[in-house]
Amino acid sequence: MASITKGSAAYKKKDGTLGITQNEKSLQWLPLGASADKAVTIAIADITNLQQTPETAPKVMLKIFEKSPDAPEAVTHLFHFNSPSNPRGEANAVKDVLTNLISALKAKDASVPTANGSAPASAAMAMASAVTSKQGLVAAKWFDDNALKVDIELQQSLMKKDPSLHGTYMEALRTKPDTISNSQFNSQFWSTRTNILRAFAVETSQKKGSYNVLSAVKPRQVDGELKMNISAEQIQLIFNQHPLIKRVYDENVPKLHENEFWSRFFLSRLFKKLKGERIVETDGTDPTFDRYLDATADIGPIQRLLGLHIPNVIDLEGNQENQGGSKGGNRADFTMRQNSVAKVPIVRILNSLSEKIMANVAPSDVDPADPIGMDEETFNALALRDLQGDSEENRIMLNIKQQSQFFANEKSEVSAEAALYAKQVPAEVLSNMRFDVNPQHMNHRVGGGLDLSSAIGVIEDSDSDEEPEKKVPHVGSKSSLNDAKDQILEGVKSRRTEIIGSDAQSSLSGLSQKIFDRLTLTHATTTEFLHHFWLVFLSGDPDRAGELAKMVETLERAMDRINSVANDADAERDEIIRRHKQQIRDHFERTGKKLPLNSSAIGGGGKVVREMMEPTIKTLHKATKEYKKALTAEGIDTS
Amino acid sequence: MDRVDGTDHYEGDKQGPGPSLLVIVLDTNPHAWALLNPTLPLSKAISNLLVFINAHLASHNANQVAVVASHCHRSVWLYPRPEPPSEDVEMKDNAPALNDANKYRPFALIEDSLLTSLRELISTTTENDISTTNTTQMAGSLTLALTYINKATLLFSDSNVTSEPMSTTLEGPENTTGLQSRILVISVSGDLAHQYIPIMNTTFAAQRMRVPIDILKLAGDTVFLQQASDTTKGIYMQLRNPQGLLQYLMMAFLPDQTSRKNLVAPTQEVVDFRAACFCHRKVVDVGFVCSICLSIFCSPSEGAICLTCSTHLALGDYGSKPAVVPRKKKKKRKLNGGVGTPSSRGGTPMPNE
Ligand SMILES: [Zn+2]
Ligand SMILES: [Zn+2]
Repeated sequence: MASITKGSAAYKKKDGTLGITQNEKSLQWLPLGASADKAVTIAIADITNLQQTPETAPKVMLKIFEKSPDAPEAVTHLFHFNSPSNPRGEANAVKDVLTNLISALKAKDASVPTANGSAPASAAMAMASAVTSKQGLVAAKWFDDNALKVDIELQQSLMKKDPSLHGTYMEALRTKPDTISNSQFNSQFWSTRTNILRAFAVETSQKKGSYNVLSAVKPRQVDGELKMNISAEQIQLIFNQHPLIKRVYDENVPKLHENEFWSRFFLSRLFKKLKGERIVETDGTDPTFDRYLDATADIGPIQRLLGLHIPNVIDLEGNQENQGGSKGGNRADFTMRQNSVAKVPIVRILNSLSEKIMANVAPSDVDPADPIGMDEETFNALALRDLQGDSEENRIMLNIKQQSQFFANEKSEVSAEAALYAKQVPAEVLSNMRFDVNPQHMNHRVGGGLDLSSAIGVIEDSDSDEEPEKKVPHVGSKSSLNDAKDQILEGVKSRRTEIIGSDAQSSLSGLSQKIFDRLTLTHATTTEFLHHFWLVFLSGDPDRAGELAKMVETLERAMDRINSVANDADAERDEIIRRHKQQIRDHFERTGKKLPLNSSAIGGGGKVVREMMEPTIKTLHKATKEYKKALTAEGIDTS
Repeated sequence: MDRVDGTDHYEGDKQGPGPSLLVIVLDTNPHAWALLNPTLPLSKAISNLLVFINAHLASHNANQVAVVASHCHRSVWLYPRPEPPSEDVEMKDNAPALNDANKYRPFALIEDSLLTSLRELISTTTENDISTTNTTQMAGSLTLALTYINKATLLFSDSNVTSEPMSTTLEGPENTTGLQSRILVISVSGDLAHQYIPIMNTTFAAQRMRVPIDILKLAGDTVFLQQASDTTKGIYMQLRNPQGLLQYLMMAFLPDQTSRKNLVAPTQEVVDFRAACFCHRKVVDVGFVCSICLSIFCSPSEGAICLTCSTHLALGDYGSKPAVVPRKKKKKRKLNGGVGTPSSRGGTPMPNE
């Protein structure tokens, strides 16, 4: 019954010891000297609340609320820590362990995936699993639409990055009906954009890793003096990646001025060595730094790597040991040889630097709380799969069916042509066709070939323009050819305006940029509200019917807004016409000549606005119509 | 002054536009032609087409042409004719049409072959063939056209050693010197929804091969052919006046790809992008797409199981009966009645349900 964490505490005015039992299942208070049967034991699972006197209070007390599953009400226990030496410390120790255990239990209850799925074995383990489950929560948030929808902070930062989205949001917020609360609006707005939020959340949570910092620092020599920009973070990184430099700095900097240290370092042979450059005889010497040239470089991260439990199967160094060294035949490649640093420094340096950078990156796939021994997954990962024959294919099977099989009622709908076809008698169709292509009826020449000039029906001399009514139009007649030409030219014309007319001026169709911008915004918000409408309308949730009625009001107001833009556009156009008239009048007064007013050449106006918004207006009508139809179906008078 | 030696001229010649291959898909649906007969009989259309073909052949000495008929139950090559049994060869030489001194012999050859094949096709069509369908084998014909183009392109690059070998990547760089191929569909029938999938497949194949599909629509309306021409950057024309067919052919469809780069094509810009559902071949405004196999359905399938790949799908709230009346508790129950049962519920159906 020994406890791992305990403290002297009085319970009901009796001195004793409060501690957590070895199995971490319960909290136990043992009275001093008395037998164990007077002990108080509280199952940790039953603890509902903890209260403690504040740090500053002279008395150190811990109040525990216990409610066992079958007890109707919670029971409170008050412990008074009265250790003569350090009551506060003991109380905190007990409380911390208790808190961890409780939260671990709760986490398990909530079936939040913990690191290893088993009950935490120690407080440290509980901490570790708490950390991992927190990471799990963050990741899970990306997949949870509801979490994204309520994450105001995320939404705000997204809108900061995307001004047009922000514009739409603000405009929609401004024009929303008062009956919809801000939070309702917010959730509606974002519910159609969870994908954007998700992408943004994922994007912002990614960070850049560290880089080879020594090669990033580029000292410049100006007038024989070394100039360089080196930031605090870079120094931090240098120390991280090269503990040797940290050591050199430590041992020298009080003596050496900081600036001098760095500028001399970047000129030194040591720098070249660490960077992986070849040291040549002409390189200047610097006794302060050259001392360290032979120092065994940077063992820190390597030690950390070694500290990791590397399974023997993939531990190459372990193999070397087992093999008993490589004196004989299997001589390693010279880049891999221990003492060839001087020969191929760059390869070694880059390798070791990469190793170090990787060592500093928190592994994403390793759970520090995992047991040291090998679990099944690791074993599977290490198994020599090449020797195991073909592995089973791990694919999701799609059972594609022949599509023609499920066309239940193939000819359910018949087109207009098909209906006409049905009226024709197949025999007649066939005989007519045979007659038509019969050589005797196809303007064959004497020689046997087709006389194309007459077959195509173009009669050169026929100036049918004179009396078009008299002639029955035939294939190739002048009028039909002209008509065809006209149609093609119309197509060319409209296509050309499409290609050439894409510049700003004509795409506005005569509207001023201001009106056009307003129209764009109105369009965006209308679309937004339509989105919301359909979302609610099709949700089939009767609880949202009230919301739906409000949405319909919004749609009606959207129509008003379009009209208001149209009216302003009309006013704008009237103003332009008025100015034109004024010009004409001025011109008339000056010269006595009257210029014609071509008002149709002046674009813009409400008509253009309505043309541009026509599809939107149609969808608005459709939405309200559907709503009214649904209302009528429920027997409610919509008039 | 440097140009006096005229090397420019030779180089320019070498870089000149290559020949083009025109594959015509002629819709020979008897029903549709019977309806069209008063305004544009098939025979007249063929004559117009022959003039167009001759014009195409005349515009480059290496231009090629092929014609495939999209008939009611099959697709048939009209030109070039499939290899005839050996004994027919002699007969062909004696064909009177070929001895016409007033006709350029290559033109006469095509004309003879095309007319012969067409007459054969019509004479072998039975009443039963006509009465059992009202549409045409457009997808099959497009496939034939594409295979022919593929073969011709390979042959061409084989024979021209200097030209770049055909790239094996699907959407290779635009070849300006090789054989430029295009397809012209002369369409008279609608109701192609049943061939939606194969037509779209050939369309995408043509897009990758950079083969434009031009559509000349004499009658009927099909959204998919419009999409085919739009996707492949071809020309789509619905004729207002079928009697002016020749004018349309010569003005709108004669230029090859090289010339089209410098021309404004008279294509109709409004494209109907709707698709047909896989379950009833209906053209749909709003459809449901399986997230696994991308099949399109006009309504959510029974039990939310994809008809094509049998995947259980989650439908969310969509498609529930709109609830517009909130108030009374009693009414709510009644409203909600259908939703409560698992079969029509929006959520993910479990496999064991
Ligand atoms: Zn369907
Ligand atoms: Zn599917």
